[in-house]
Amino acid sequence: MVKITIDGKQYEVENNLTIIQAAKQNGIHIPHFCWHPHLSVSGNCRVCLVEVEKMPKLVIACSTQVAEGMVVNTNSERVVQARNAVLEFILINHPLDCPICDEAGECKLQDYAYKYSVGQSRFDFEKVRKPKRVELGPNVMLDTERCIMCSRCIRFCDEVAKKPQLTFTQRGDHVELTTFPGEQLDNPYSMNVIELCPVGALTSRDFRFKARVWDMSSTDTVCVGCARGCNMKMWVRNNEVLRLTPRNNPAVNDYWMCDYGRLNTFKHVNAANRIKAPMVRKDGRLVEVGWDEAIAKVGFELKNFKKNEIAALGSAYSTNEDNYLLTKLMNHLGVKRIDFVPHIRKGEQDDLLIREDKTPNSVGAREVGVRPESAEFGFASILNEIKAGNIKALYVIDDDIAADPVIADALLKLDFLVVHASNENETIKFADVVLASSTYAEKYGTFTNFQGRVQRNKPAISTLEHDRILDGMALSRLDKFGAPNDRWTTGLKRDTRASWRILNSIAAVMGAKWKYNSCEDVFNEIASTISSFKGLSFLKIGTGGAMLNKNKETVTVKS
Amino acid sequence: MSDFPDKLLLPDIPNLHRIDVYEQHGGYAAIRKALAMTTDAVIDEVKKSNLKGRGGAGFPTGLKWTFMPKQTSKPKYLCANGDEGEPGTFKDRQIFELNPHQFIEGCLIASYAMGVRATYVYIRGEYVKWINILQHAIDEAYAKNYIGNKICGTNFSTDVYIVRGAGAYICGEESSLMNSIEGDRGYPRVKPPFPAQVGLWGCPTTINNIETLTNIPVIMNRGGDWYSKIGSSKHPGTLLYGISGHVNKPGVYELPTGVLLTDLIHKHAGGIHGGKKIKAVIPGGSSTMWLRGDELEGVRMDADSLKAAGTSIGTAGVIVMDEDTDVLKVLARITHFYHHESCGQCTPCREGCGWMEKILKRFMSVDGNIEDIDLLLNVANNIEGNTVCALGDAAAWPVQSVIKKFREEFEKRIGKIPAENKYIPPPHLVAKSG
Repeated sequence: MVKITIDGKQYEVENNLTIIQAAKQNGIHIPHFCWHPHLSVSGNCRVCLVEVEKMPKLVIACSTQVAEGMVVNTNSERVVQARNAVLEFILINHPLDCPICDEAGECKLQDYAYKYSVGQSRFDFEKVRKPKRVELGPNVMLDTERCIMCSRCIRFCDEVAKKPQLTFTQRGDHVELTTFPGEQLDNPYSMNVIELCPVGALTSRDFRFKARVWDMSSTDTVCVGCARGCNMKMWVRNNEVLRLTPRNNPAVNDYWMCDYGRLNTFKHVNAANRIKAPMVRKDGRLVEVGWDEAIAKVGFELKNFKKNEIAALGSAYSTNEDNYLLTKLMNHLGVKRIDFVPHIRKGEQDDLLIREDKTPNSVGAREVGVRPESAEFGFASILNEIKAGNIKALYVIDDDIAADPVIADALLKLDFLVVHASNENETIKFADVVLASSTYAEKYGTFTNFQGRVQRNKPAISTLEHDRILDGMALSRLDKFGAPNDRWTTGLKRDTRASWRILNSIAAVMGAKWKYNSCEDVFNEIASTISSFKGLSFLKIGTGGAMLNKNKETVTVKS
Repeated sequence: MSDFPDKLLLPDIPNLHRIDVYEQHGGYAAIRKALAMTTDAVIDEVKKSNLKGRGGAGFPTGLKWTFMPKQTSKPKYLCANGDEGEPGTFKDRQIFELNPHQFIEGCLIASYAMGVRATYVYIRGEYVKWINILQHAIDEAYAKNYIGNKICGTNFSTDVYIVRGAGAYICGEESSLMNSIEGDRGYPRVKPPFPAQVGLWGCPTTINNIETLTNIPVIMNRGGDWYSKIGSSKHPGTLLYGISGHVNKPGVYELPTGVLLTDLIHKHAGGIHGGKKIKAVIPGGSSTMWLRGDELEGVRMDADSLKAAGTSIGTAGVIVMDEDTDVLKVLARITHFYHHESCGQCTPCREGCGWMEKILKRFMSVDGNIEDIDLLLNVANNIEGNTVCALGDAAAWPVQSVIKKFREEFEKRIGKIPAENKYIPPPHLVAKSG
């Protein structure tokens, strides 16, 4: 530990830190473009220049190590002038196209120019012209003129994605970011360069020009693309998910997420094939009905079967709470055949984030009881028993199991099939009752990732179940302005429900006496009855997640 | 200044570039002498000589060598910097052409002193002829086992390789030079770590100028004490002065440090064309501060005297301009050079060099504005000292010194009278009187 002084205040910090790290730890923001906590130091943007006593020149805070007795000034007149000069330099060739730039509102250059620059340029020449709309790869677009040559994206590809695909060419103010000859920016993590880019040079080809940043709300939630459960923010405008961005969690995903998770886990939320209301099969066709009718129908039908004629399939796509209540309902009915269909793609895994288990909650589903007592009650056996005609009723939540033709064939044999589904899929073609369930973007809940980390999921899209304002969901600027009769946001609110709530209603008509008013009630019961969850609460999980207890005993869920 | 041979680096011996001629004149005795000494003793001898680096920064060579770690599991490297990109500088070329073996011998002594596994001689790509000459000399030295495995019958092995530059000025900056050798983009590295800790391929590395290394055999042969008495005491030795511009006899002159700048111009370089007056002198390559013609009296060509005069020795590449010179044109050309050669890594130099050139071009087309002079100076000040490497300073200094010393030349070229910041309403909005 060394004692240093920053802006007149003394701090004790570890001696292997740089000034910018020491300042960050103590809540002092030193402006920076090229420095990033998870990348090597390049020291090129020069905006982090600070004054250190006894050093003749200003030094860059990102590469200068702290030393005993060091006196740092981040706001002396020299520093203020130099910082203003650097910002003026960056802006002389940077297009002032903020009104049409995707980055506006979350642009470091914009923020710093506002905060640290005099706001006036003395440059009255033509700017350097460079290529625009350069397709760097399938997911990333480059505006070379906006690039401030911080090299973060290059370092990310080299150091994190381990795919050196980007480089600079040319010299001086003609420097251009480009891909190496014959390469494109197509690594599985390529879109992380979009957030790394401090300006609007690198933009998402999926998202660009879709929305102003301030018109979206952002909700801290978790990716469901694989068993990693990358922490992310879900960005919503007018009740429609527009983009996902990673959220820093050193225990799970650092600052990154993969392109697959980013692009393929929200489109179904907005899709036109959403199931808008519960449906019951009448005369061979699924007909939309009210919730009460659908639930009564399920209750009525299930009573016609013996308990060994019923089986249930939970879902590794669903939350711990959904799976827990399914287990609890089946216990109530005395049904022993319960399992879920795993979605493992062998070998589709890497050392950074991507896992071959393509579901977010396999560990959690098993932990809360969606696991057969023995192989004779497992999924393979369930399938055989259906084919043999011994299982006549099947309850499936949130998984398109019929996408596998082998399973689809078996489903034909059933007398009664209940399906929770958010989108039209193969499985509902065989269903007698379809219950319109909420996607992960529309409900509270927890997932347990492959490490055994329990992470919280929050609704970003409001439904009839969750009101944006009354339920305290994240608000955008558009959501906040105007009286309720004058809301700018008129996006579609669907009549879908979280699976745990649907199961709660089913249990009620089946004679169970459960009292859950919220998802948190369900979780608290999990925490009090399942030892691996003991001691956890929504509060404790927070935004960063919490690990399951390691010394667990096998506990069966009581009805 | 009497009892030393006039020329230590470029003696007047015909065919000295041949190894047999070099050996006949005592060549490769210094490396044998060094190999018989301890490495510390060799470094001490260089320290005693007080030899300062000849590449521009003038850092004490012996001290630099001591920065190399003694105990390390990594191989150590020496880079000999022959990029010679500084405008007005053309001295190393003479060494390659006339006395390549003395340079090689210097590399070998340095390698022995620091335990260097291999020397990389980085030479600007345009020097094809001189690369060939040096390569031939290296081959000769290999054949005679001065370089290679177990040189001169000792247990010390070292290699010498030539690396050709690809035309970037920035690659003469020592850390860019290492990146260039590694095959990377010529970007300066942020220091620390310094090359002696983390250099070429992450290994301890020392970078010395070609001329610096060529001095080493002389120091070994004659002793550091003897060498330290040549020329100025604080900056001893002989220098290869490269004189260009409006002199009658431009060229490379080997003379002791501390000669009078006026002597250099008038006695050695034959004076100014047509007996004209001197308008300005750049004493140490294009990046050093300018001197006006009336500031030359008594200025000596050594680090201290030039520092007192407000400039620096640089590479001792003296550029002389006569009274008819358009200094703005020269400055615009120099600034164009730095704009063209800025590597683009760090912000102030990347953006500022282009801006300075644009302002200067406006003066050249007599379209300047009185405020542009201070703007130009301010831009230069904002670059100076705020960059990764010294190229930013190199671009700023000429601009600063020309504005300081030839401000009237700018004022002559003002075309625009600054517009008053007064709002003039369009006619239809002006109330009609009466």
